[in-house]
Amino acid sequence: MATVTDTQHAPHSHGKPSGLSRWLTATNHKDIGTLYLWFSFAMFLSGGVMALCIRAELFHPGLQFFQPELFNQFTTLHGLIMVFGAIMPAFTGLANWLLPLMIGAPDMAFARMNNWSFWLLPPAALLLLASFAVPGGAAAAGWTLYAPLSTQMGMGMDMTIFAIHIMGISSIMGSINIIVTILNLRAPGMTLMKMPMFAWATLITAYLIIAVMPVLAGAVTMVLTDRHFGTHFFNAAGGGDPILYQHVFWFFGHPEVYIMALPAFGIISHVIPTFARKPLFGYTSMVYATSSIGILSFMVWAHHMFATGMPATAQLFFMYATMLIAVPTGVKVFNWIATMWEGSMTFETPMLFAIGFIMLFTIGGLSGVTLSVAAVDIALHASYYVVAHFHYVLVAGALFSLFAAIYYWFPKMTGKMYNERLGKVHFWWSLIWFNVTFFPMHFLGLAGMPRRIPDYALQFTTFNEIASVGAFFFGLGQLIFLYNMLVSIRRGEPAPQKPWEGADTLEWQIPTPAPYHSFAEAPELEVAENGAIRAMKGGKHH
Amino acid sequence: MESSQHSVNLVLLKKLAIIALVMFGFAWALVPMYRVICEATGLNQIAVADAAPMQAGAAGAQIEMTFDSMVQAGLPWRVRPLTSHLKVKTGEFIRVDYEITNASDRRMVGQAVPRYLPAAAGEYVKKLDCFCFKQQSFEPGQTKRFPVVFVVDPKMPRDISTITLAYSIFEVPGQGGL
Ligand code: HEM
Ligand SMILES: [Cu+2]
Repeated sequence: MATVTDTQHAPHSHGKPSGLSRWLTATNHKDIGTLYLWFSFAMFLSGGVMALCIRAELFHPGLQFFQPELFNQFTTLHGLIMVFGAIMPAFTGLANWLLPLMIGAPDMAFARMNNWSFWLLPPAALLLLASFAVPGGAAAAGWTLYAPLSTQMGMGMDMTIFAIHIMGISSIMGSINIIVTILNLRAPGMTLMKMPMFAWATLITAYLIIAVMPVLAGAVTMVLTDRHFGTHFFNAAGGGDPILYQHVFWFFGHPEVYIMALPAFGIISHVIPTFARKPLFGYTSMVYATSSIGILSFMVWAHHMFATGMPATAQLFFMYATMLIAVPTGVKVFNWIATMWEGSMTFETPMLFAIGFIMLFTIGGLSGVTLSVAAVDIALHASYYVVAHFHYVLVAGALFSLFAAIYYWFPKMTGKMYNERLGKVHFWWSLIWFNVTFFPMHFLGLAGMPRRIPDYALQFTTFNEIASVGAFFFGLGQLIFLYNMLVSIRRGEPAPQKPWEGADTLEWQIPTPAPYHSFAEAPELEVAENGAIRAMKGGKHH
Repeated sequence: MESSQHSVNLVLLKKLAIIALVMFGFAWALVPMYRVICEATGLNQIAVADAAPMQAGAAGAQIEMTFDSMVQAGLPWRVRPLTSHLKVKTGEFIRVDYEITNASDRRMVGQAVPRYLPAAAGEYVKKLDCFCFKQQSFEPGQTKRFPVVFVVDPKMPRDISTITLAYSIFEVPGQGGL
């Protein structure tokens, strides 16, 4: 066992600026990580309020609260804010906090660029939120911003396009930082094929972001020039083609869904071994599965476009390629299950969220494979079945993994324990109401209810009522989480250096809370697979 | 961090930034690539004259045709098929006329896009001449009459017995001049 504690330096002793300027000029990876996490939580709440507006309107058929125009703005901004404001920044925040600790680096490679990556986000979020107040309101073309709707709307669309440019630049800079940190700043002994799965997952995610965020930027720039500069990329009458937009968008869009899934896989690959008290089963196959998902994700985009009248051969290609992705994904699920097999498991909150993730994400994967059958998808496309599918992989997938991560690393980040009882309540509450909200949407979709509409035929009423009730309770439950965090940061029990018996990666070898400047000198490590530390020499913090 | 480490990091940063720039360019390169693929595969070629089918002239099955037109809300076109219903035989050369009016007080350029119902009939209606093959310009208030000449391919499956041919007229922005 390696126990190197730096007793000469009490944490917080020096080098930490105070007040507002600490945050505005933050270059410390932990401060920036904290900023990202709180920002994404704020976005999660504002996107959540929009979701509740949507569910309130859909509680009954007919128009209750909102005109269709505003309803469409809610669905659009809900999607954009959750994807670009909540999930992606939350993963970047975790990567900032954890990567240097996990691989023994003093900080992220480019500290000042890191500050920029974060501080670009709030202005982008303000642009999105402020667009509700301009004439014509916010963008209302759906988060996919399909032409020709997006080439027609008011200035809210321009603000959205600009916001996407800014958020794109932010996430590209963040990704460059992540890649350089992982490739160049690992401590001696932390080899690539030994490093933790979270590092692998964020590394591949960062490459995906660099490869596809510029493509999205290109697509929305074309929309912008079609809107204002007389080009006809997507205008059929001018010789353009709106279907072209869909191709460019989904070339970004499908890798994007894995940008939101791979880091979740990384987190789960830490939590499950810790609470099963066994090393991760099949580490090497996990690395290869993650990489092949990354590569395959570039070859399946047109499964979002089966209903556009593609030739049958293209439909077949995209159908089989999509089904192929289920193979490496399945490898991961089986590896997690095999890790738990005969483990001595305990069920603290992070483990509960991780197991909930495996079960529900798998349901989302199965509905995905159903949708990948071109002949079936032509009936289900743009129905509530698709909404059910992607909320199983994004809410029960990405979001649950984020909750698992926050509970798991909370002690290391804050030096306090969260309230375990409240954590468990939060999990069971979320699990139940999540399913109440989203499971009926499968039935609605199969029965033919289209997505993105404020009103619906009477026969869909009951399931919509159930979903709306579920959504409000689910939303309420997230306040338990917020309360738990706020109270525990201030008054939680002091956390030991290693609160989880089975945790063996590098961040658990340093004092708790993590010193402000950890690994100011690189440690020398002896590492087993998945970043498990066998021995550590040196490594100074202050 | 030592400066040698920093310069190694900068080299990698530059390489990654170049990848990002190249991918931005790739998004734009998708536009011509898409066009080339559509042309090579013959997808999307609604606005090109077809060759007359081999068995043209040999009269075959009887088809009922409806001619229709659509104008998007807010566009000042008036479109009228001079024939709205016609019984035709497959293999027969047919000519119908459309009358299009620019009901605005400015010069406009329009593009017609044909649509078929059932959609499967589209590939069997072989158009030899059509105003939809190119953009058409109109003086303010001008009315023009255009022919559409086509043959319904005798190879069309027998279960299609009625066909609707409808044109939507769009304005080509930036061409008319206000
Ligand atoms: C086995 C894995 C998966 C398969 C086979 C799959 C398949 C599909 C298919 C075929 C569609 C298109 C449905 C339609 O629009 O008609 C779709 C939509 C979607 N999927 Fe998946 N999927 C998988 C995993 C995921 C994951 C992991 C995520 C995200 C974490 C995800 C997020 C989405 C989203 C957001 C949409 C809807 C996009 C939209 O139209 O707004 N999927 N999926
Ligand atoms: Cu996809």
